[in-house]
Amino acid sequence: MAELHIIGQIVGASGFPQNSLFCKWGIHTGGAWRLLSGLKEGQTQVDLPSTGDMAYWSHPIDIHYTTKGLQGWPKLHLQVWHQDSFGRCELYGYGYCHVPSSPGHHHVSCVTWRPLGSWQEQIAQTFVGGGPQLRSPDLIYSGADRYRLHTVAMGTVELELGIIMRHFDRYGVES
Amino acid sequence: PRPQAKPVPGSSHSESSTMRQRMKDKLKAARSEMGLPTAEEAYNFFTFDFDPEPDEETRKGQKRRTRPEGENEEGEDGGDDDEEKEEEDKEEEEELFLIDQSADDFLVFKRAEYMGYQRRLQSENELLFTPSFLTVPASSKVPENMKPRYLEEEGLYVGERPPMSLTNQNILENRILKQEQGRKWFGDDGRIMALPDPIKESSTRPPLFHIEDDLDPALQTVYRKALVSKHASQYISVGGETNGDYQLDVDVSGLIFSHHPLFSQEHVLGSRLVQLYDQHLSRQHRNLTEHLTTKLNGLRNTIGNMLEVHGGQRLTPVMQQRISEYKQEVRNTRRLRDLEQEKDRTLLKGIVKIWKEIKALRDFQRFTNTPYKLYLRREEVERASDVREYEAEIQAEVDELLDEMEEDYQRKVTEYRRQQEEWKVWRRKQRAKNKKKKKTQSQLDDNEDDEDNDDDDRTDGEAEPGPPKPKPPEEPDMEGVEKQVSEKASRIRRKPGEPILVPELTASGPITPNEQCPRGEFARREDVAKRSIFIKVLYNDKEVSRTDNRSLNSDFRVHFGQIFNLKIVNWPESIKLQVFEVLGLSTTLLADVFVPVPESSILTGSAPSEELVFSSNLRVMFDHEAVGSDVPFSFEVDGSNRQTLLTSGKLSCSVSWAVGEDDVPLAPPTTQPNGLKQLDAIASIGASGLNDMKKLGEWATESRLDPNDPNNADIMQLLKVASSGEVTAPDYFRLEQLQEEFNFVSEEDLEQSRRFRLLRLRNQEVAEFRNYKFVPAMEREVTDKVFEVRSLREIVDTKGHLDAHRALVAKHLHKIRESIINRFLIAKHHFIMSDLVQEEQVPTIGILGLNLFKLAEPKRPLKPQRKERKKVTAQNLSDGDIRLLLNIIRAYDIPVRKPSVKYDTRSSSHVLNTYISGYERVRPFVEVSFQRSVLQTTTADGPNPCWNEDLQLPFSAPNGDYSTANLQSMKDEIFINIFDEVQYELGGDRGKEVHTRLEKHWLGSVKIPFSTIYFQSRIDGTFKVDTPPVLLGYSKERSLASDGGYDAVRSLTEGAFITLFITIEPQLVPGETIREKVSSAWISFESQESEGLLLASEVFERDAAVHFPDRPCLTTVININGKTVFITRYLRPLNPPQELLDAFPNSPQEATDLIARYVSLIPSLPDSVSFAGVCDLWSTCDQFLTLLAGDEEEHAVLLCNYFLSMGKKAWLIIGTAIPEGPTTYVLTYEQNRYLIWNPSSGQYYGQYDTFCPLQTVGCLVSADNVWLNTQAYTSPLRIRFDVTKAKLWKPFFSRAFPNPGLSSVQCITLHIILHLPFPKISLTCRIEKILKEKIMEWRPRNPTRWNRYCTSTLRHFLPKLELSRGRDVADEHRLELQSLLGDYRISGFPLHLPFSEVRPIVEAVYSTGVHNVEASNVEFALAVHVHAYPNNVLSVWVYLASLIRMR
Repeated sequence: MAELHIIGQIVGASGFPQNSLFCKWGIHTGGAWRLLSGLKEGQTQVDLPSTGDMAYWSHPIDIHYTTKGLQGWPKLHLQVWHQDSFGRCELYGYGYCHVPSSPGHHHVSCVTWRPLGSWQEQIAQTFVGGGPQLRSPDLIYSGADRYRLHTVAMGTVELELGIIMRHFDRYGVES
Repeated sequence: PRPQAKPVPGSSHSESSTMRQRMKDKLKAARSEMGLPTAEEAYNFFTFDFDPEPDEETRKGQKRRTRPEGENEEGEDGGDDDEEKEEEDKEEEEELFLIDQSADDFLVFKRAEYMGYQRRLQSENELLFTPSFLTVPASSKVPENMKPRYLEEEGLYVGERPPMSLTNQNILENRILKQEQGRKWFGDDGRIMALPDPIKESSTRPPLFHIEDDLDPALQTVYRKALVSKHASQYISVGGETNGDYQLDVDVSGLIFSHHPLFSQEHVLGSRLVQLYDQHLSRQHRNLTEHLTTKLNGLRNTIGNMLEVHGGQRLTPVMQQRISEYKQEVRNTRRLRDLEQEKDRTLLKGIVKIWKEIKALRDFQRFTNTPYKLYLRREEVERASDVREYEAEIQAEVDELLDEMEEDYQRKVTEYRRQQEEWKVWRRKQRAKNKKKKKTQSQLDDNEDDEDNDDDDRTDGEAEPGPPKPKPPEEPDMEGVEKQVSEKASRIRRKPGEPILVPELTASGPITPNEQCPRGEFARREDVAKRSIFIKVLYNDKEVSRTDNRSLNSDFRVHFGQIFNLKIVNWPESIKLQVFEVLGLSTTLLADVFVPVPESSILTGSAPSEELVFSSNLRVMFDHEAVGSDVPFSFEVDGSNRQTLLTSGKLSCSVSWAVGEDDVPLAPPTTQPNGLKQLDAIASIGASGLNDMKKLGEWATESRLDPNDPNNADIMQLLKVASSGEVTAPDYFRLEQLQEEFNFVSEEDLEQSRRFRLLRLRNQEVAEFRNYKFVPAMEREVTDKVFEVRSLREIVDTKGHLDAHRALVAKHLHKIRESIINRFLIAKHHFIMSDLVQEEQVPTIGILGLNLFKLAEPKRPLKPQRKERKKVTAQNLSDGDIRLLLNIIRAYDIPVRKPSVKYDTRSSSHVLNTYISGYERVRPFVEVSFQRSVLQTTTADGPNPCWNEDLQLPFSAPNGDYSTANLQSMKDEIFINIFDEVQYELGGDRGKEVHTRLEKHWLGSVKIPFSTIYFQSRIDGTFKVDTPPVLLGYSKERSLASDGGYDAVRSLTEGAFITLFITIEPQLVPGETIREKVSSAWISFESQESEGLLLASEVFERDAAVHFPDRPCLTTVININGKTVFITRYLRPLNPPQELLDAFPNSPQEATDLIARYVSLIPSLPDSVSFAGVCDLWSTCDQFLTLLAGDEEEHAVLLCNYFLSMGKKAWLIIGTAIPEGPTTYVLTYEQNRYLIWNPSSGQYYGQYDTFCPLQTVGCLVSADNVWLNTQAYTSPLRIRFDVTKAKLWKPFFSRAFPNPGLSSVQCITLHIILHLPFPKISLTCRIEKILKEKIMEWRPRNPTRWNRYCTSTLRHFLPKLELSRGRDVADEHRLELQSLLGDYRISGFPLHLPFSEVRPIVEAVYSTGVHNVEASNVEFALAVHVHAYPNNVLSVWVYLASLIRMR
């Protein structure tokens, strides 16, 4: 019975237009995966860096999975939000990355994007905040005709993930 | 070197070119030799005069020679030689780079070549071929002697050709024809072969502009404003934020009262008539009778036909089967039809009857109130045919019945025969057996044997089980059938020839005008006219809108016809319509009508209007003609046959989701919307809505689809599969294909893994595994034992509970707890800032200033004061960090030793000594035990000792979990025991050697639960020591020597007291209760109280908290279902068990005491422990008595209710006490003084009692009001309890806000179980046995001997103690014992406990430390007595004594 530990942290994010950011994250797995312990979704605090562009969260991730099969290897999906000076929150980006499948320590940087919206919406966004969001956030990790979606590239979320695999070799998965 | 001659500008080309040539050569040479020229070389290069070639020397010489002449001729001044030299040098340098001047030398200019146009045409004509654009004749395109063949005309599918202009096509054809084998490019039809048009109809390229309309729903984005996020879960959220575009339309069309208090009698009848008529109409509309009759006829005809066709011939089994089925059907249908007919008829009769009653009433009262008129229309029928039909019908039925009976009979007969056969076989066997038996048994009456045989048979047969002798079936009563049928027909059917009666109800009758009515009726009509009705619309229990007031008409129908559009942001939970009646200025709520939240498919326009029935149990009485509501009235003159009607009616309304501008329903998605999941799985493969494959196939054949057409390929595929009989679309959708095939392990293996199970349990924070530290890495290291704890807990062990009822209660409590905890889980996970972030308070100017003042304060070292300490949140603690600090200060009135008589005689000197010294009579010390660690103080002297000692006890939380929730739920208690240290001299008789032995005798104890300390953070005060009613060898006489001034004050209380200070170091932050959290989170509890009341109570409580922060104020409490209930609803006079009242018929005081005692005997179970981290829950008295466990509040409520029913003035006191903290006491007023009752101990205190544990009085609650203490002081000593004084007590319900008449939540009478469901004797025995075993277990080293004689004596005493409730028996008791057991030194005492389970009893016995006696010759005595009070309340007495033989 193979086990997988994902231990690490969401270090922070950089490259966003504003830097008072926080992040909602979650791990999506296939049906064969069973959560043994740990939280599979969460939300970081808001970081307001006084210097520099990078917002640091150092948010811990510590999850222990067991699995029946390889299908549906864990994926990490992120939503970066910005909290403005009025305490209002607006979406700044969706991101998505695979959890590395080789054991060891990994630096993962996850780039993010944001829906663009119509020009009226863009103008509104400039002046009053807010912004277009996906009706169904599932889209982040599920396929559809995405070419119709106009997006803007946003910043990068840095993650440090340590992967520990156990007993995968018993089932012929070399790691 | 100087140049004699310089090349002059404009000198010949050849000369300069040669020179350049040479220089190049030179340069090349130099470069090839050494790469870069040295400085000297460079200088030489520019200044050196190269020698010309010899052959050119002459020419050069000439030229050079000519030059100076030229110069001179030109007349330029020679000037300075040097100057000239420099100039020349410069000139020489310039000349070297003058390359451009020589460009002409390379170029040749030529004329442009040109070929004339004509010439070019000519030449091109020779080379090029221009195909003509004329149509090529078809004959040249097809092979010779062939005609073009058109496939399309032959019916084959030919793809559409790509569009091409005719000219181009002609040109192409012409060109191809010129080619070799040009014809192969042409098809049979003489056209160029072409593939079907490759261009797709729809563009595959993304459109340039964003087209919102046809965007995939999953891809749609929503523009969300930047909003401060609140509790997203409450709102309809898609991506976690609010989205406000949902709309509910509530259409309130009208209201019809089926009964209203203002109905006159005629109205009552009228509404009944209307109801019946409506019923009749609806029946008429459905016309079931007709339908069934037709069906019946049809069936009969079918059977007839069948029999006719096969008449005479033998029927095949299949046919027989069918006929019998039909017959069965006929039977059923007939029965149904008869039923329906009967109903029709009774309905008609009913209508006529009521109409007659109305007419009679109208005649009687001489006026008309209702416009109803009933016509009975007669439809004449032709008599003869009707009779014929009727008779035919009866005949048919009779025939059928006879048939059925005949069949039935035949079946029974066959059955009977079979059974008889069986029975005969059995009898034969039996007989054979019997014969054998008889022979062996008795040889005596041989001759009688045969005769007896039959009789024996019968008896034996009866004795042994065997098939009973079957009875022959009865012959069917053929004659009776016809009679029955015709009787039934006359009952349920119209008589033949009678006209058909059709009732018609109209509302056109005249109503008597008001003036002509008698006074009562006039008053009623006036009253009706005054009233009006409106309807409030409540969404999620919040009023959102209300209709206009509509006056009530005489027909009691109200039409509103208003539609409310509700834009909603919250999830719809409930939609409620409240019907209000307005009379003058006052409004009354008639009824609540709950409207179901519509499905998201119910949209405005298509939603049907529903009629919702409502009713109200409001009692209304009038002094005029109106019948009122909930009031019995009668139609009869003599008042018999009384009826009670309740206000009721029908509200017609409809609730639906609005439709947006573009026909989009404005309904929130039913579940958490997941755009992709909502898509139809079949739709994605392009076959939605095509459910009926057969029809599709038919359509395909009819429309003759071309099977080769690729457009139809999908359909053809579908049809092929459909016609082959296989199901096309699978009814499941597999998300992860091939998952099974690639699995490592099966699901079961994963489930079975113990390690994973352990990990998961730990993650789920199941109680036993919450802080489980290390989970083994190997599967085999996890033993099954780990889970045993859990399984033990799951099955509530009935072993531990001696009483089955209590086991059930424990189980029930567990369930309640689970459900409540689940309910509050959300609230529990709502964190506020202070839960997560601990912030040091920044000192402000104010604090600094105060500190400065403090510096100037005079120092008073002799009056130390306790400082506020820093609070520590629980999460950063570990084992050993926390200690419990106890400061034991002093005690009063500790029982003193009584010199034993026997002892006196033996050594009189010793006794004399004790009497003289006086204070030697007791040497108490205090022992504190907590979590199995024990500490004790030094020994002091005398009955009023002063220790003033600090003790520190280590504290460790279970599982090392220092979270707030865990600390709250800790059930540990601190035992503070007072012992007497007794010195015995051993061997004193012998003279020289004197050994002393120390013994400790238990005098009393104080128990303080840890949770109290945790919540209070410190406990400071004087507590009453729980002393046993009898202490052998001790007396409770108050020392006469003590200061008299004090005595007067504490005259009312008896017993010993101890002053303590307890705290936790470091100070822990107690967790907030859920309610506080909830109120901060704006999540309101469900409530049945009206909104106004809740609001008022919130304001009241908030005011109290602002003005009097230290006074607990409670107006609403949470009941056991988690709903908010107003507190006064809990109080209502309730009869105490009659048995208790009867016990002291003459002395009310005694009875009161007994009842208080009875209440205190119900075990206490602090809510904060049982519902850790949840909140205080109040259960009603009957719940409390069923559960037999509750908090102080429940005790107080029950006691107060009992007192109320005994005619006392009683209130609940909400206040704080030590050691309980915030608690509830009962206040009574009798004989001009106020008494404060502690409901959980049964004790009472006078108002001016210093030792009263109640410290603060926050508010008083009676059955109809709540008063907040607004006096300057809170201590009961210093306040006045006169609630009528508005200055001292602020009432909740005042004139401005009157009590709306809240009904009580308590049952009217308590169900009292008088009989025990189990014998108490067995319980006594079991407790005794368990305790004895435990005592032996605690003395592992010494043998434990039991003194039987003493035990039996003690057992004899216990019932007496119960009777006297532990008072005034000590002396008599002691003397008796002393006389019986003169040779022993006895120390012992009875313990008294309420019974819930065995564990607390064992704990109490353990804490007395009786088992610790070390003497070798010690004997023990233990007796248990259980007294049962009504309702299964048990009082347990345990008498414990240790005896030491004196000789």
